[in-house]
Amino acid sequence: MNDTMIDVEDFRREAKAWIAANLKPRERVRAGRVVGEVTTHEQIDAARTLQRTLFEGGYAGISYPAQYGGRGLTQAHEQAFREEAAGYVTPDFGVVGVVTMGAIGRSIAEHASAEFCRVHIPAILRGDEMWCQFYSEPEAGSDLAGIRTRATRDGDRWVISGSKIWSSGAYLADWAMCLARTDWDVPKHRGLTWFAIPCDAKGVTIRQIRQINGGAEFCEEFLDEVEVTDDDVIGEINRGWAVTQTMLVYERGAGETATPTEPRALAPDLVALARRVGRLEDPAARQAIARAHINDYAQFHLGRRIADRLEHSRNPDHAVAAYSKLAAGVYTPLRARLGMEIGGPAALAWAVGDEAEGRPALDYLNGRRISIAAGTNEVQRNGIGERVLGLPREPSFDTNKAFNEVLRNARSWDGKVG
Amino acid sequence: MDRDATEDQRALLDVSVRFMEETCPPAVVRDAERRNPEFTATYRSQAAELGWFSMLVPEALGGASLSGNGVLDAALIAYLRGGRLQPGAFVGTNVVADAIARAGSARLQAEVLPALVAGEASAAWALSATTAGSPAAGVDARADGAGGLVLSGAKTAVLDIEPGGWLLVTASSPDGPVQAVVAADAPGVGVVALESLDLSRRFAEVRLDAVAVAADAVLGDAASTAALVDHQLAVAATLVAAECVGAMAAEFAMTLQYAKDRIAFGRPIGSFQAIKHVLADTSLAVEMSKAITLAAARTLGSEDGHGPSAASMAKALVGDSAIDLAQNCFQVFGGIGYTWEHDQHLYLRRLTTDAGLFGDAAWHREHLCQLSGI
Repeated sequence: MNDTMIDVEDFRREAKAWIAANLKPRERVRAGRVVGEVTTHEQIDAARTLQRTLFEGGYAGISYPAQYGGRGLTQAHEQAFREEAAGYVTPDFGVVGVVTMGAIGRSIAEHASAEFCRVHIPAILRGDEMWCQFYSEPEAGSDLAGIRTRATRDGDRWVISGSKIWSSGAYLADWAMCLARTDWDVPKHRGLTWFAIPCDAKGVTIRQIRQINGGAEFCEEFLDEVEVTDDDVIGEINRGWAVTQTMLVYERGAGETATPTEPRALAPDLVALARRVGRLEDPAARQAIARAHINDYAQFHLGRRIADRLEHSRNPDHAVAAYSKLAAGVYTPLRARLGMEIGGPAALAWAVGDEAEGRPALDYLNGRRISIAAGTNEVQRNGIGERVLGLPREPSFDTNKAFNEVLRNARSWDGKVG
Repeated sequence: MDRDATEDQRALLDVSVRFMEETCPPAVVRDAERRNPEFTATYRSQAAELGWFSMLVPEALGGASLSGNGVLDAALIAYLRGGRLQPGAFVGTNVVADAIARAGSARLQAEVLPALVAGEASAAWALSATTAGSPAAGVDARADGAGGLVLSGAKTAVLDIEPGGWLLVTASSPDGPVQAVVAADAPGVGVVALESLDLSRRFAEVRLDAVAVAADAVLGDAASTAALVDHQLAVAATLVAAECVGAMAAEFAMTLQYAKDRIAFGRPIGSFQAIKHVLADTSLAVEMSKAITLAAARTLGSEDGHGPSAASMAKALVGDSAIDLAQNCFQVFGGIGYTWEHDQHLYLRRLTTDAGLFGDAAWHREHLCQLSGI
């Protein structure tokens, strides 16, 4: 913290006055940070208008660098603003906003050239540019460094071809941050580069994926000889893995959805469900309700303990954050399953259009999302095993081989390492 | 969990660890003969000097807590005890001292309580009936017409009854549960030693044959006893959970080291994902158990009303996690874990026993529902 930085409480007072003068009170106060469901361009446009008000008032990008349009303050100032603004209508870009401000903007600020930052970060903070990630591929998820989208140099241009998947809200975004392979003759982590691609560039096709829950938030993309230039490179050529690691840290942090307060009331949704289906006296249903609530309670205190440890440690070890992610990945689907057990037949079939009655089935379908997205349970277990517990890695046979050779031999792998 | 201690607590924890390692190292834990009455009395009085039995007792009655939250202080001690599989009536004595401080007669507070705090005597809570049931089941109480009671029946799996010790008996009467403090060697009281899964502690069946209890040995009245029993259960559950988490962490550390040292197929077995993932899941269980037990101790000791629920949640989660952990660690050890000389079975026995003491996981889940008004 530098000497000229405004004190958090002074900032809070200043923010409070500005908020009261410039934002509209919310009809219902929301608890904590809740990301709304944003599915249309109209919703995005409405959020842009409001975001511009924030930007002009100096309250967009509070913890972003000042030279790029932010305020250059800390997360504590950011949090103070959020608390003061909780009762007011603030811009809601849905998951696109979380990805843009939480993961992409931060990664750009850390890795892109000053020129790139001067162009894009103010536009992000003003709400003019919403971004998405062209990241996972149909054939590369947990093994992210194994992506196969190809960027080939052609004079002063790059030509990008391949396919991407699981991009949250890409159909609502203006720009994409795309991971591509720029060198196939080196091991997989050493031939990757990040590019900025306008979503409406020639050769980009974005399609919404119809999900098992009926929604279509995730997209897939086809890149057919999309042309960009050296100015669109984020970070260094062939050093994209460093940017990826930064992005993953922010992404996992930004993806936190832990309840901000200790859950005290016994699993209210499941108690209501049991009451509706007449099973409040049924010992099996009571055990299931208690099990779900105890896991919620334990997860909350695990999260708080880890946050405390990270905050108060001189040498914070971010690997321990994997415990929160693994707990969510293990207990979210279990909770959904308990809901189905309590609901019984009523969770299998319900009145047409009755959202409350259809909730257990929807939760059940969504339950494994957190077990898979942003690092599967298995990836978390490896991280805990190796980085927290200090167990040796599995031998790897592809980290020292040229990636094109790895691909060539993968189907006929003889089990030999090295 | 002891890393969460304040500086004042830290000093007590450090000296407690030294005491345990000097007085009751693994060789003594393993050897029931060496834990004879003389050892028991010495261990108890030295522990008392460290303040182990004073933390739940208010200062006016001769007690003292370090942090202002006696349950949290005691839970941190319990955590360290569990890791070292310590014997002794720590949980029982603290629960009974707390109960006497809250609801005991002037005589109990003047005669029994100071002896407990000073380590001159220990106490055990006789709770479990030989057949399943409520905490009051197994022993019937009838009024003697002079404010006292006559107790008849039996309680089982009573933990660490020491020579010259006291028993807190929870019994059923026509007016609801009642409780009384009786001497373990009082006329009509029979203490029958049992064989037990856990080798590091002693269990007994208590038989009561028309045991006469004076009015000033009865705790509380008909109106308040049920709430007091709930409170005792919450304290016992929290302290046993804390001992259990200590044992979990110790066994996990031992297993993790083994996974790094043991070589198979040309590499440490902990490098195989089949083992690594079990250990990652198991360490998550340890972390969640620590988090929920500390939360329960903080909440229960601050008397904000949510304590009994938090305690039941901790006991349920820790109980299930402890058995999973014991099973997983056993599997990682493989054959060596099946040998008498390896410490694995001491933990397996301890953890499984802790999971069942003062209410198993299913009992506490149901209790949570009732505390929540459904």
